[in-house]
Amino acid sequence: MSQSFLEVKGLTKKFGGLTAVNDATFSMERHQIIGLIGPNGAGKTTLLRLMTGILKPDSGSVRFMGQEMAGKNTWDIVNKGMVSTFQNMRPFRRLPIIANVMVACLCPRALKRGEWVKKIEAKAMDALEFAGISDMAKENASILSQGDLKRLEVARAIATEPELLLLDEPFGGLSPAETDLMAKSIKRLHKGGRFGRLHSEGPAMIIVEHKLHWLMMIATRIIVLSFGTIIADGTPDEIIKNPTVIEAYLGQGGN
Amino acid sequence: MKLILFYLRKLLAVVRNEVLVLPSRVAVIIFFLFILLLPSFTDDVYILRVFTLTCIFAIFAASWDLLCGFTGQLNFGHALFFGVGAYSAALMNIHWQLAPWFSIPLGALVAVAAGLTVGIPALRLKGTYLALTTMAFPIIVIGLIFTFPGFTGGELGISGIQKLAPTRIEEYYVISILMLVLCTIMWKITDSNTGIIFHAIREDEIAVRASGVNTTRYKLLAFCLSGFFAGLAGGLYAHFMRIVGPSTLDVSLSFQVVIWSIFGGAATIYGPVAAVFFLYPTLELFHLIQDYRTIVFAIVVLLVLIFMPDGLFRWLREKVEEECPRCKVRNVAWRKTCRVCTASLE
Repeated sequence: MSQSFLEVKGLTKKFGGLTAVNDATFSMERHQIIGLIGPNGAGKTTLLRLMTGILKPDSGSVRFMGQEMAGKNTWDIVNKGMVSTFQNMRPFRRLPIIANVMVACLCPRALKRGEWVKKIEAKAMDALEFAGISDMAKENASILSQGDLKRLEVARAIATEPELLLLDEPFGGLSPAETDLMAKSIKRLHKGGRFGRLHSEGPAMIIVEHKLHWLMMIATRIIVLSFGTIIADGTPDEIIKNPTVIEAYLGQGGN
Repeated sequence: MKLILFYLRKLLAVVRNEVLVLPSRVAVIIFFLFILLLPSFTDDVYILRVFTLTCIFAIFAASWDLLCGFTGQLNFGHALFFGVGAYSAALMNIHWQLAPWFSIPLGALVAVAAGLTVGIPALRLKGTYLALTTMAFPIIVIGLIFTFPGFTGGELGISGIQKLAPTRIEEYYVISILMLVLCTIMWKITDSNTGIIFHAIREDEIAVRASGVNTTRYKLLAFCLSGFFAGLAGGLYAHFMRIVGPSTLDVSLSFQVVIWSIFGGAATIYGPVAAVFFLYPTLELFHLIQDYRTIVFAIVVLLVLIFMPDGLFRWLREKVEEECPRCKVRNVAWRKTCRVCTASLE
């Protein structure tokens, strides 16, 4: 078994005349946390959406654990173990928070892996507990604050017990203290283990984020996108010093 | 003997602690008793007939709620399922001499097939586009019926269908008990894990997909379930009225069911059922003022929709019950503390 965990090759998506993602190629290992950064409109979210099948790529391939994912239905991809959160949170607003997570617990993958779990609610509760919003489990999702919605997104994603977790701006709109907490949760999740009835394999992660300070603390490798093209790929230390990246972020002459 | 007493005491405790504490549950019990005991108060054929039809339409309205209120697949052609169920039951009864016990469920299965026919194109549509598309289907079936008058009876419909039961009271009991059972089943479905997914699909379909749930399967399931229950209602209607005409596929019937459901409160199951039991007999009562019947009806419905946009019965429920802010258990509105966690409700 020499095949890599995730291999993205030549992924391209055009919206009319705009090339949102242009020939994106990278691969990752099972244990990695990749930070995906880039200026606004660089195509980070589009890249994640192409990988999870919410958008269909124009060309290119996504091989995940030896299987082709491009062009498959989102639910099939999730059930293979690749799940993403939404940047603009999409909770089921008129359902209680616990029911939001129960939907994810009801997907075939989670059901199969949690056969010994009698109560779906109990498992959903553990996911909420991990995310830190279990005390509000019975409230409607519409009352949640921005930060708590982010946690709900994370809870919903980990309830499917993924192998690869794609987080789209998990720190967006969070206060520094909340960001710290979220960063710690993500690290803890990556270590893996058991959170109540919820089993974490210690998923590999791709994190899209603008708060570089926190991202550098978590990520072991950074990929930089600009205008849909990957312009740099390396460890956080290399990336900070990379002149192309500095130019893309700050324009020419910046330092 | 001791065992029986033990269980009786247990039952009484359940009734006292779980049922009598909430007005809505008491109302449900009273409703069940009313339905079951109605023939002992009156054996007037007209009243029994009105309430039997009410029961049939209650099943029909609840099935609309299952599809549109819960799953959010707006269907403005729900009469399709009713009409297809009614016509299939009638045709099987007339041509193959099948007894009602076979023709009604088989008719409902044909309605399930109709549900699939509508459901598959509906997978690609949303909201108003879906509503307009679904509206076309009953009209297409009416066209088919007019094209083959020899087989379907054309505009005159099919008459001489076998009676459901020998007497009116027996017919009433068959239909009313079936109504109670079917509505309980529908309520149970919406209360189950499947129901949660239905709710979630209405809220945000993409997010449900991203949670790993095959939404296509669940949407088709919703169409089939809804078609099945509406088809059963149609079959019962055919064997009760003993005549089936194109009116069972009418646009007005499709809209009637929307009005009933919205009036009572969509996405509740009990709302549409209660609304039918309120509106249908009321409309019959308005026979006394025949000339103004429709306008009075319209005014009542409009007033309810303006002042209680969530539906009459949900509004009533909110008035007499409130949720405990701490443990989310429902309490009677005039209680000072929660009956479970004793938190203050002031």
